[in-house]
Amino acid sequence: MKLLLIEDEKALATSIQNYFQRENFICEWAQDYESAIEKINIYKYDCVLVDIMLPDGDGLDAVRELKRKFPEIGIIIISAKNSLDDRIEGLNLGSDDYLTKPFHLSELNARVQAVIRRRNFQGNQQIRFGKIIVEPQEHFVSVDTQEIILTRKEYDLLIYLIANKNRVLTKESIAEHLWGDDADLMDNFDFIYTHIKNLRKKLMDKGCPDYLRSIYGVGYKFSEQ
Amino acid sequence: MKLLAQILRYQLVTSMVVLFLGAGLFYVSVRYLIDREANKELFQSQVKVRWQLKHLETLPVYILQLGDSLQLEPVRYPGRSFIRETSMLNLAENEFQPYRQLVFYERALGQWYRVTISKMLLQRQHLMEAVVMTVTFIVTVMLISLLVLNSWLSKRLWKPFYKTLGKLDAYQIQQHETLTFEPQKTLEFDQLNQSVTHLTSRVTTAYQNLKEFTENASHEIQTPLAVILSKIEGLFQDESLTESQLVALSSVSEAANRLGRLNQALLLLTKIENRQFLAGTDPINLVPIINSKLRDLEDLIDQRELSIQTDLQPFGPVIHPALAEILVNNLLTNAIRHNVEKGKIIIILRERILSVRNTGKPLNANPEQLFERFRKESTLSASLGLGLALVKTICEVNGQNLKYDIDNEWHVLTVSW
Repeated sequence: MKLLLIEDEKALATSIQNYFQRENFICEWAQDYESAIEKINIYKYDCVLVDIMLPDGDGLDAVRELKRKFPEIGIIIISAKNSLDDRIEGLNLGSDDYLTKPFHLSELNARVQAVIRRRNFQGNQQIRFGKIIVEPQEHFVSVDTQEIILTRKEYDLLIYLIANKNRVLTKESIAEHLWGDDADLMDNFDFIYTHIKNLRKKLMDKGCPDYLRSIYGVGYKFSEQ
Repeated sequence: MKLLAQILRYQLVTSMVVLFLGAGLFYVSVRYLIDREANKELFQSQVKVRWQLKHLETLPVYILQLGDSLQLEPVRYPGRSFIRETSMLNLAENEFQPYRQLVFYERALGQWYRVTISKMLLQRQHLMEAVVMTVTFIVTVMLISLLVLNSWLSKRLWKPFYKTLGKLDAYQIQQHETLTFEPQKTLEFDQLNQSVTHLTSRVTTAYQNLKEFTENASHEIQTPLAVILSKIEGLFQDESLTESQLVALSSVSEAANRLGRLNQALLLLTKIENRQFLAGTDPINLVPIINSKLRDLEDLIDQRELSIQTDLQPFGPVIHPALAEILVNNLLTNAIRHNVEKGKIIIILRERILSVRNTGKPLNANPEQLFERFRKESTLSASLGLGLALVKTICEVNGQNLKYDIDNEWHVLTVSW
């Protein structure tokens, strides 16, 4: 998978690049809009991450032009602006998602994967992890061909864990993924623990190995080892 | 009181004073002229009477004009002649009427006579009547013409003023418009319009600058925060970190997350205060918002084993949809956060009122203080302390009323519009 990151903040760009490299994605970086257009004209990308506050012009214009020239590319807007208007305009222009800074890299990763999945395979691709098979279109989860009935939150959690496999996930990032802006209502992270416990139990009941490891004081890690 | 009405009041008072003074002066001067005329006539009569007395044995009656009367009294010694005024009974009209009398002494046939010629001053009465009538007429005509002039002036001359006033009333700073006006014939109104134009253009620029500053400041803070968080997340993946290092890193991560949320919430508060969320014209139906929010908060509600009762009718205030969501969200999360285990929440939505009641612990602070920013009743660290401040600000900006009542174990937040 090939990503293009259009972001003027070098430190953030480096972090994002490193993160996706570990995911075996190729993540190229353009510091401004002009060089981004150059790169897009030469290479083919699966998804473009655009900071809409670029030094050389309004990022929304960049999104507009990208969409016009390359309608098949997935676009995720990254912005420090939470302005409602920008968000709506960005999504209306055809961007696939809108992420407000600061964000968790694991969240960005999950959204990039969702966009690529939707774009490349019209959402019909199966997600596999070890013995688990997920059909995103039908919200269908199975282990060894046995269906597992999950609640909405458990399903979201599973997708998020698989998207960020082999990584340490903080409790905050899980909470924010599941509850969004309500995450700060979590006076403690018991909710996450409850969902994790239930999910783990449902998976293991169908003979799935325990992929989930708790990292003391930090969060969880989903891996086959 | 309208300016024109005030001007009219002064005009009326002044013209009344002038009119009555004028009427007095008129009366005095005309009376003086009449008196002089009467005196002249009296002296003419005196001359005639003297001549007759000298040349004739008796005084014929015909020398006297109608209304005058002549009296002759024999006296022993002559005195000084004088003119006096007196009232005498007029038998024909049976009333006292003013007379002017000339008294003088004349010798005829060796005998001194005191001659009194009286002249009736009927003209003076007529004069009084005429003056009063004229003044009344002038006052009436003036009053009517002033009123008519005034209403005409307020319709015509003051029109540009009311137009400017209307524009100023309708002025909304968020729309970044500078008010402009057509040139006016009236110098003052033209100046006023120019000042308004300058003022609004300065205000718009200042507002724009402030808005940009707020947005930029937020942007500038969010980006370093994003860097911090991304670096922390990178570090978490480092397997060589010890447990204590991971715990420390986790605290850093929590604090940075919190800072980010705080910044967002403050920015939102500023934006609402800057009235960047303008209400539409139609009321927003709050029922779907409440229901979807309750679904989102299901986990929390279940976990605390709260029971929810709703009694919702499809109504809502006129408000920006995003603000309606924040309002509902913050009211509900507040009711959940400050509830007790196995507590209750009752949500009632009526035509002009939304009330959220929740069971809770007794309050230490004055309920109104809970609307202040960063005021926390409990020391729950996850709470930003901005939830109710946001609700309060939204209500203030959109003209809704927010009330916090405590009824035994019940905490009631009521929004009315």
